[in-house]
Amino acid sequence: MIQLATERPSEADRFARRVSALFEGQRQNIILHTDRLFTWLMLCQWAFCVGLAFWLSPRTWSGTESAVNPHVWLAIVLGGIVTSVPVILARTQPGGQATRHAIAIGQMAMSALLIDVTGGRIETHFHIFGSLAFLAFYRDRRVLATATLVVFADHIIRGLYWPQSVYGVVYAPFWRSLEHGWWIAFEVVFLLISIRKSLCEMHLAAERQARLELTNDTIKESREHLAQAQHIAKLGNWTWDIPANRVLCSEEAHRLYGRDPEVDGTTMEKCLERVLPEDLPRIREAMAEALKTRQPFVCDHRVRLPDGEVRHIHGRGEVMVDAHGAPVKIFGIIQDVTEAALSEESLRRTEMQLRQSQKMEAIGRLSGGVAHDFNNLLTVINGYSSLSMLQLDEADPVRKNIEEITKAAERASGLTRQLLAFSRKQVVHPRALNINEVVRGMEKMLRRLIGEDVELSTNFDESIRNVNVDPGQIEQVIMNLAVNARDAMPDGGKLTIRTANISVDQSSTFRNRTLKVGSYVVLAVSDDGVGMNEDVQNHLFEPFFTTKGLGKGTGLGLATCYGIIAQAGGDIRVYSEPNSGTTFKIYLPMTASATEAPAAPPSDTMPAGRETILVVEDDAGVRQLAVTVLRKCGYRVQISNDAYEALEAIKRSPQFDLVITDVIMPRMSGKDLRDQIKAHRPGTEVLLMSGYAGDALAHRGVLEEGLLFLEKPFSPARLAQKVREVLDASPVAR
Amino acid sequence: MISKYDYAVGEAGAAPAYWPPGLPFGRDAGRPTLLIIAHPKCSCTRATLENLNRLLTKCGGRVAVRVLFIRPKGQSQEWVRTDLWRSAAAIPGVVVAEDPDGALARTFGAATSGYALLYDASGRLEFCGGITDGRGHVGDNPGAEAVVSLINGGAGLQARAPVYGCSLLETSCRARDSSK
Repeated sequence: MIQLATERPSEADRFARRVSALFEGQRQNIILHTDRLFTWLMLCQWAFCVGLAFWLSPRTWSGTESAVNPHVWLAIVLGGIVTSVPVILARTQPGGQATRHAIAIGQMAMSALLIDVTGGRIETHFHIFGSLAFLAFYRDRRVLATATLVVFADHIIRGLYWPQSVYGVVYAPFWRSLEHGWWIAFEVVFLLISIRKSLCEMHLAAERQARLELTNDTIKESREHLAQAQHIAKLGNWTWDIPANRVLCSEEAHRLYGRDPEVDGTTMEKCLERVLPEDLPRIREAMAEALKTRQPFVCDHRVRLPDGEVRHIHGRGEVMVDAHGAPVKIFGIIQDVTEAALSEESLRRTEMQLRQSQKMEAIGRLSGGVAHDFNNLLTVINGYSSLSMLQLDEADPVRKNIEEITKAAERASGLTRQLLAFSRKQVVHPRALNINEVVRGMEKMLRRLIGEDVELSTNFDESIRNVNVDPGQIEQVIMNLAVNARDAMPDGGKLTIRTANISVDQSSTFRNRTLKVGSYVVLAVSDDGVGMNEDVQNHLFEPFFTTKGLGKGTGLGLATCYGIIAQAGGDIRVYSEPNSGTTFKIYLPMTASATEAPAAPPSDTMPAGRETILVVEDDAGVRQLAVTVLRKCGYRVQISNDAYEALEAIKRSPQFDLVITDVIMPRMSGKDLRDQIKAHRPGTEVLLMSGYAGDALAHRGVLEEGLLFLEKPFSPARLAQKVREVLDASPVAR
Repeated sequence: MISKYDYAVGEAGAAPAYWPPGLPFGRDAGRPTLLIIAHPKCSCTRATLENLNRLLTKCGGRVAVRVLFIRPKGQSQEWVRTDLWRSAAAIPGVVVAEDPDGALARTFGAATSGYALLYDASGRLEFCGGITDGRGHVGDNPGAEAVVSLINGGAGLQARAPVYGCSLLETSCRARDSSK
C-alpha cells in the first residue's frame, strides 16, 4: 500500500527552511569547533604561562635562600581562574553564547596577564592580535565586540593606573592607550569584514547544499517512483558494460532473476546462471547478433528461481557504441510475463480442447446420424434375414446365403455400436460388477485373441471394489486394448493386466478430461511392445486415427474405449515411451453396490398376442418389418409415418394397447410423442425404438426412469419378446 | 600582591662616592665604568641585563661595564655560573666576575640584585640604583635613561633610582620580607 503525505510545504518554503537549517547547523558546528579549539588553546596557554614562569622566574632569592617566585603563583592561580571558567563552560555548555563570550573575556584576560607577567613587553601585545584573530573563528561579531571592549578597558584602566603592567613604563600618556586601541580597532575592522564575507560564503554554501539536497531528494523520489513502477510492472532494467564485463541491474531486475539486490556489479555469466539451459543458446545468439548488427534485440526466456519457480521473462536490449562505432554497452529491460505466458498456454490448451471437443462433437453427430440410418438398414436386413430363415427348410441351400448376410449384418452392427460408443450415444445398461471377475471371464478369449507369442499375465487386487459399468462395454474396452497390445508386439511379448483400488486426493487433468478427487478402481493394461512417441499419443484417442496401416485398423478402437470410459464417468490415461512399451490406465469410479447377476441370454422365441398396436416409424423398411413381425405374432397393427399421424390415429381410435415409435423422426420426436400420449392416454404404453440414446432419452447412455426402449437393430424375436414384456407389465393388462 | 612584589623597591646601602681603591679589579681609565651587582639566580635581573644590552647600544664603547655576581660563602663556582652569568658574559664589552661572599657588594653598598653604579672617568660616583622600573620589567625607565645620558656626557637627570630585584644577602632579604 502506498501512503501519501497529506500536507507538504511549498518547495520555496522547504528550500528557505533548509538553507536556514544548514546555515545554522554549519555555524553551530563552527562555534562548537572553535569552543573546542579554545578549550585546548587556553589550557595550553595556561600551561605555557606556568611553564614560562617556571622557566624565567621559578624562584625569588635572598642570598642563598629562595622561595617560589610570586609570578609562578600568579601564573598558576590567576591563569587558572582566567582559563578554568571558559574551559568549564566550553565543556558543559558547548556552543552556548555565554560560553563564547566567556572565552573571549578569558582570552583577553590571558593576554593581559601575559603582558603583565612579561612586564609589559610590547612583543607580548601580539597575543591580543592573535587572540582576536582566533576569536574571529566564531564568525560572531558580538564575540569580537566583547573581546575588543575588554582589551580597550584593560588598556585604558591599566594605562591610567598601572602603566608598567601594560606598557612597561612608569608613566604612559592616555594617547598611548588610544594608540593601542586604534591598532586593535584596525585589526577588528578587517576581522569584521572577514566575518561578514565568511558568513556570506557560508550562506551561499548552505544554499548550494540545500539545492543539492533538493535535487537529490527529487532524484531519490524519481528513483523510488521508478522502482515502484518497475515493481508494479514487474519490469527491470540492466546495463552491461561490455569491456569490463560488469552488469548493473535495477532492484526489480534482481528480484525477477531471484538475485540478491545487495550484490550488484556482477558479470553477464553470473546473470545468466538462472536462465533455463535450453533458453541460454537463444539469449547468447540474440546478443551476439545484436553486437554484430548493432540492432536492438528481443529475447524471451525463462529463469528458474532459487525456490524452483519458473518465471517467463520478456527481454529487450539495445547496443550502445563509442565514437568509433565499437559496442561498449548494452542497455536492456526484462519483464516478468509469466502470467501472460501461462494465460496464453492455458488459452492455447483450451482452444485445443475446444477444437478437439468440436471435432469429437462433429464426428459424434456424424457417427450418430450414420448409426441411426445404419441401424434402420441393419434392422431391416437382420429382420428379414431372420424371417426368411424361419420360412426355409433346414436343408435349403439358400439358408447358407442368408446366414452370411446375417453375419455381415452383425459385423456391421458391431461397427455401428463402436461408432455409437465413442460418440457416447450408445444406450448402456450399467450394473455393479467386479472388474477382476470381468477380466477372469475374458481370459480364455483374450489368450486366443493375442496369440501364442504373447504371454498374458494378470495381477489382481483381491480387495478390489465394485464399479458400475455396462459389462459388454467394459469387455469391449479390454478387448480393444488387448488387440492394440498384441499389434504393438509383433514379435511377441507380455501383456499384463492389473487391477487396484486407488484414492485420488487432488484433481488432475489429462488431455480433455479431469480426474476428480475420489475413489477409483484402476485397470491397467500394459505391454512391452514398440511404444509410442508423443505425437502418436496426442492423437491416440481420435476416431479414425490409426498407425496400423490401411485396411488393418478402423481407428475406432481407442476412440471407442475413450467414449465408453468417459460415458462411465471414468478416465483413461496412457503412459508410453518408444521401445519401452505402453500402459493404459483406466480409472472407474467405485460403487458401494453389490454385484448384480448378468441378464439372461437372448432366445429365438416369438411370443404372440392379440392386443392392438400402433407402429410409428418414418423409415418404411423398419416400419414394414415391424408390422410383418407383429402381425405374424397375432397382434392387430396400425401404422403411422410420423408423430402427427400417430396422434390423429389415436384420436380417431383410442383403443391402442401399445404404441411403438421411432425416436428420431422429422417434425416431432418419438419422445415428444410419448409425452403427449402419456398426457392424454396414460393407460397406453409407449415403446421407443432407436439406434442411439440422445440427450432427451438418456444421461450418459442410461435411460430415463420409466422409459420403455428397444435398441436398434433388433431381431424379430427381440421385437416380439419386448412387445410381450411391455404389454404383460402394463397395469391395464394386469 | 604581585604589584607589591614587582614594584617593591629593593634595599640599597651607601655607595662610595669614589671608586674604592684596592679592589681585585680596577676601572677603566679615561671612560666611565658601569658596575652592576647581581644575584646569579635572580630572574628579575634578566630584565636588568636586557636593559643593559639596550643601554649599551645607545652608548657605544664609551663605557666599561663590570657585572659582579655574588657567590655566597660555601657555594661552588657552578652555583654562580648560571644562565644569567652566561647572558651577561655574552654582551660585548661586559666583564663578568665573581664576588665571593658578597664582599664587594657590601663595599659598594649593594643589597639588591641589579644594583648599578656609574663612575665617571675620574672615578666619581655619578649614579646608583636600578635600571629597570620594576622586577623583571624590560623597557624604558628613568634609571636607564639617566645612565645613558650621563655616559653620553649629558646632564644627569637623576643620581639615584630605585632598584628592583632579589636580595643579595639573606639577612637583608629576610628583613625586607618581614617588613612586607
